[in-house]
Amino acid sequence: MSIIVVGISHHSSSVSVRERFAFAESEIDDVLRSLTDRGLAQESVLLSTCNRVELYVSTRLPATEALHAIKQFLIENRQYQDVIQDEIYCHANPSSVEHLFRVASGLDSLVLGETEILGQLKKAYHLAMEMKFTGGRLNKVFQKAFNVAKYIRSNTGIQRGSTSVGSVAVELADKIFDGLKGRRVMVIGAGDTSEKTARSLLSRGASEVAVTNRSYERAEELAGNLNGRAVPFQEWEAEFEELDIVISSTSAPTYVLDRARVEKLIRPRKSRPLLLIDIAVPRDIDPEINELDNVYVYNIDHLQSIAQDYLEQRQKEIDTCEAFIKEKVEEVLGSLNPPGHAAKDGPMIQADAREAG
Amino acid sequence: MLTDRQWFFCAILMYGVSVIYSVFLWRKGFRKDDWVNYVLLLAGFVMHTTALMLRGFSFNRCPVNNLFEATMFVDWSAVGVYLVLGLIPKIRFLGAFASPIFFFLGIYALMPGLDHHDPDGEITKNWAVSLHAVLILVSYGSFGLCAVASCMYLIQERHLKKHNISAILSVLPPIQRLEAVAGKLLIGGLVLLTLGLALAPLIVKDKENLVFYEDAKILWSMLVWAAYAVIVAARWKWHFGGKRLAWCLIAGFIFLILTFSATNMMSDLHR
Repeated sequence: MSIIVVGISHHSSSVSVRERFAFAESEIDDVLRSLTDRGLAQESVLLSTCNRVELYVSTRLPATEALHAIKQFLIENRQYQDVIQDEIYCHANPSSVEHLFRVASGLDSLVLGETEILGQLKKAYHLAMEMKFTGGRLNKVFQKAFNVAKYIRSNTGIQRGSTSVGSVAVELADKIFDGLKGRRVMVIGAGDTSEKTARSLLSRGASEVAVTNRSYERAEELAGNLNGRAVPFQEWEAEFEELDIVISSTSAPTYVLDRARVEKLIRPRKSRPLLLIDIAVPRDIDPEINELDNVYVYNIDHLQSIAQDYLEQRQKEIDTCEAFIKEKVEEVLGSLNPPGHAAKDGPMIQADAREAG
Repeated sequence: MLTDRQWFFCAILMYGVSVIYSVFLWRKGFRKDDWVNYVLLLAGFVMHTTALMLRGFSFNRCPVNNLFEATMFVDWSAVGVYLVLGLIPKIRFLGAFASPIFFFLGIYALMPGLDHHDPDGEITKNWAVSLHAVLILVSYGSFGLCAVASCMYLIQERHLKKHNISAILSVLPPIQRLEAVAGKLLIGGLVLLTLGLALAPLIVKDKENLVFYEDAKILWSMLVWAAYAVIVAARWKWHFGGKRLAWCLIAGFIFLILTFSATNMMSDLHR
């Protein structure tokens, strides 16, 4: 029996191709049943996320035959008629199991070490299990994958730290303030990143977001998205005393906050700390403000540099994780294949245009 | 059976192991936190408590009669206060910074010449003297931890100002919490110091020839009390805080620890 994975991901294809292969949850039952009825799979799990679609299959067919047949099944099921080059990848064990473990641990994700994929994989597995498409082999392999992911998360730094500007800002705030609960945030200007940053802060307990913009309508719109309130641009200084975090992202050509202005504004605050996040280019906040006591200024370069540092830290953990995964792959395949069985069916097989044709 | 000094020595050894472990944590950029340091300090504290109890029971009095005992007591109270605070997550990391103080205070206490035993001393005869000494020494322990929290504040504040990733990766608590902890220890220390000093009139009421402003220790104690009282008042009235508060608290404790022994020796009442 072989364990096969056939799939398409952000590594191998663009979103325009991936979206053609995406499956809705309501379709999964029919797809897996069709796979089983055709004799292509004895057990199967289908994972479909925004970055990958993968079919994990336990089959009695010889690996090479199964790989080809399942790839064809996928193409036909999605009625994909364009030419397929390298978009679809195929693995047989041990590579298939190794791939599963890597996916579960976030090593194959767009953002190295991200944790969302594990939840998605668990959901896909449980769905297939409830529909009775899994059996002894896939159950064992998937359970092992979850244990491996848990171990890697707890014992390595692969998932440590934040890799987005918004989450870095939250971590900074966590190191300044004694809890984010009840903190007051102001967004000056508007923009995707500042909205995401504000959302990140809100998700961690910040109590209120005020939005100010030269255009009051835009401020209202963003405030509505964030369940906050709009403040007229002429009046935002009056709020300054009560603020804890300011996110600035305007298109102003000069500083919105200069040192002299902030020195006056922070006097009533006594010695309460203030975090100023400047996401704008050109910068909205005079960097000299960082020299003031109890004020911390972080611009987009600082935040990205920290996010990059985190990524580099995660990169260093890859070797450790890969070695652990190899060890666990051998372990699980050893338990699935009694001694004497030919367990190895070869490495990854890339589909090519001729095969697709 | 170990003597009290031997038990104390064992406690210092444990604090020394904690210092070594703290250096290891420092080399890791304070990015690791676990219960190891806490357990080491707890083990030392148990030995330390044993030493104090043996001492106290053997002399039938509170062991705060000479510089050795006073320093041992300050050390013990500082460790005790830390162990209580360290039960709170994130505050536990204070131990990594405090362990050098616990260790070096202990080393100092063991220096020769500090352990004069006076069977007819005031402490033996007067309960108020014991209580006076205990309250004041515990307050010094509190000020010591205050200074430690302030050091941690300055380190973390520096990382944040320099946009250093260590600001996030280290397990140091947020600076606002460190300032709050330092503030509470400051108030606690001042309250204890005030209570301790308030007992002084009871102690000296029978000393007819005492001119209080001629006694170095009394003057020094008033100065220390005044300095910390001014800091508390400034905090309350003008919300004095941040880096300046941290530096004041560190400077205050350094002054206290460097001049404590000398003023004791200069004081007829306290020698």
